Amino acid sequence: MNRPTMAASRRVALAAALAGALVAAGPAAAQQQEVRLGWMGAITGPIAQLVPPILRASQLAVEQVNEQGGILGGRRLTLISADSQCNAQGGNDAGNKLVNVDQVVAIVGGLCSGETIAAANSQAIPNGVVMVSPASTSPLITGLQDRDLIFRVVPSDAYQGQVMARMVWNMGLRRVAVTHVNNDYGRGLAGSFRTAYEALGGTITAFAPHEDQRASYRTELATLARGNPEALVVIAYGGGSGLTVIRQALEGGFFNRFIGGDGMRDDVLPRELGANLNLVVTQPVPREGNPGLEIFNEAFRRVGGNPASIFVAQGYDAAFALALAIQHSGGTDRARISASLRAVTAPGGTVIRPGQWREAVAALAAGQRITYVGASGPIEFDANGDVPGNVAQFTIQGGTFVQGPILSAN
Amino acid sequence: MLEFVNLYLVNGIVLGCVYALGAIGITMIFGILRFGHFAHGDMMTAGAYIALALVWASGMPVLWVLPAAMLLTAALGAGLHWAFYRPLDTGTGSTIVIVIASFGVALMLRSAVQLFFGVDITTYQRGFQTPIWIADTIRILPRHLWIIGLTIALVVALHLFLTRSRLGKAMRAMSDNRALARISGIGTMRVVLAAWAVGGALAAAGGVFLGIDTQLSTQMGWNLLLPMFAAAVLGGIGNPVGAALGALVVGVAEELVTFPWFGEPLLSPAYKSAVSFAILVALLVWRPTGLTRGRVF
Repeated sequence: MNRPTMAASRRVALAAALAGALVAAGPAAAQQQEVRLGWMGAITGPIAQLVPPILRASQLAVEQVNEQGGILGGRRLTLISADSQCNAQGGNDAGNKLVNVDQVVAIVGGLCSGETIAAANSQAIPNGVVMVSPASTSPLITGLQDRDLIFRVVPSDAYQGQVMARMVWNMGLRRVAVTHVNNDYGRGLAGSFRTAYEALGGTITAFAPHEDQRASYRTELATLARGNPEALVVIAYGGGSGLTVIRQALEGGFFNRFIGGDGMRDDVLPRELGANLNLVVTQPVPREGNPGLEIFNEAFRRVGGNPASIFVAQGYDAAFALALAIQHSGGTDRARISASLRAVTAPGGTVIRPGQWREAVAALAAGQRITYVGASGPIEFDANGDVPGNVAQFTIQGGTFVQGPILSAN
Repeated sequence: MLEFVNLYLVNGIVLGCVYALGAIGITMIFGILRFGHFAHGDMMTAGAYIALALVWASGMPVLWVLPAAMLLTAALGAGLHWAFYRPLDTGTGSTIVIVIASFGVALMLRSAVQLFFGVDITTYQRGFQTPIWIADTIRILPRHLWIIGLTIALVVALHLFLTRSRLGKAMRAMSDNRALARISGIGTMRVVLAAWAVGGALAAAGGVFLGIDTQLSTQMGWNLLLPMFAAAVLGGIGNPVGAALGALVVGVAEELVTFPWFGEPLLSPAYKSAVSFAILVALLVWRPTGLTRGRVF
């Protein structure tokens, strides 16, 4: 063996030894100190504008845990975020990173239904990791074969679709055209709206899926405008196809009245298209008359957040409830999180409200049962990991969406 | 009939114009360097955002800053070649490394845009335009007239450059036969950089036109990659004017398949994206030379 090769091989050996030492010592030492909670959401993509406040709310929960003594006997809780891009591929990649690389205990997220379903099926369920979504509303999530691992703190669109149908009906609209983004979210909500609206006696003049992120929807709109619809129901993301569809509908004179779901509650729409845009949307909201919401709003305002942002209460609840579940389980064993999550949210225990981490830890240490009643209200998971909830109407006033009345499906 | 023209054909042509400006760059780079440049879509994105920065800085309408944006993106294209693709060119004729590298460059460009401009979508100008009527029959948006007119002007200018100027002729010679061109004394580096500059400038124009027509998002260019490659193959690889025509065909075809030819739309609009796939596959199977009888690699 000649000299340079020997030097090189010694260097390689040294590097390998160092790397081995790091691998051996690094995670072990870190795991002793920190407890890792994963967070996945579409930081880039069509809902990018909506995501930062939700992430901030989840971070607030983690900060409160650490400020009030940490988790599992003084260990630090860290939130590791991953961008799932609002599509199935991104969800798979982000889930893989969190589950296999970062080795998180549980995951908050995803946000878009497509990314949640992909991450659940490909990563979380096979590896036994609990996911709690603050925003994925697709009815398809209810039916996942999830071994009780996939939860959400936002109601299913099976309900939002019914509420939306009733709202459209009560607005006096009897003939509408529907277009939805062709993914799990769009198909789910549009399908549930269609069934409910037709049951009320309304006529769907056209029902067309569209692909997200296209440059032009004018031909789709030309087809949708046939048959004299009175309004266009757009089930899409405001920062994705939603803006393009509405802009081109206005420009082409196809429609001037629009209805949307929660994905359309994006201030980019009034900003780009004018404050007098005639768009009414529905969105699942925290339940009223719940002291937890005020506590959260106050805390969120203090860290510079806007409590009126979409799904922030849910983003907080998902993270806080998972922290409670980890504390309840007594360790970082993934397999025990699901049962513990049900235990800390089941009614009948000492009520824990947002921010009451120290009280929760004390109650658990004393062997008491606790019930987390969150910012979005009581979290009463059913057998599928779904929660009941409220849906409110939002209209555009002064360039932003303002919450109107809570709507009923009947 | 008027509905057909106003709602379907015009949109297809506008879409085709955007595809054309990207497809020309792809076909030129393939012709001269023999590799598929997958970062081309993101170069369009970069061009569109460079124009946005210029609009913010100068306060002028976007079409006024378009020449400056084209120049800067031309420099970006040449810079990308110099920094990434040239060092990876082994000279052995194998380009797969460069093709894969261009995927990486695409991600870098997109991330750089996201870093500087954020991930929210934005527009050059807020609000919306209403269409104007031409001769009481054609209804068209003013910006569509601009896009179609400027694209035609750019393609004609490119054609004149390639057929009349020395550098343009050298580029065509290089595209036809690299070795022969080199023996004849044509400076390789100069031609290659010219191809990147022209490709970059046209990509910027395409990105800006797409931004004017819809909005700016950091994924705008990446989403166009497939139809643009289909257009380049359709036009005969290495043939810029063919690529422009191919783009027109792809753009118009994508829109026309949704026309209710027999009372019902031929194809659900959700499957529009499949059209460029179908065209690409059909061509590769039955006519790999493209419509203009270009070469097969």
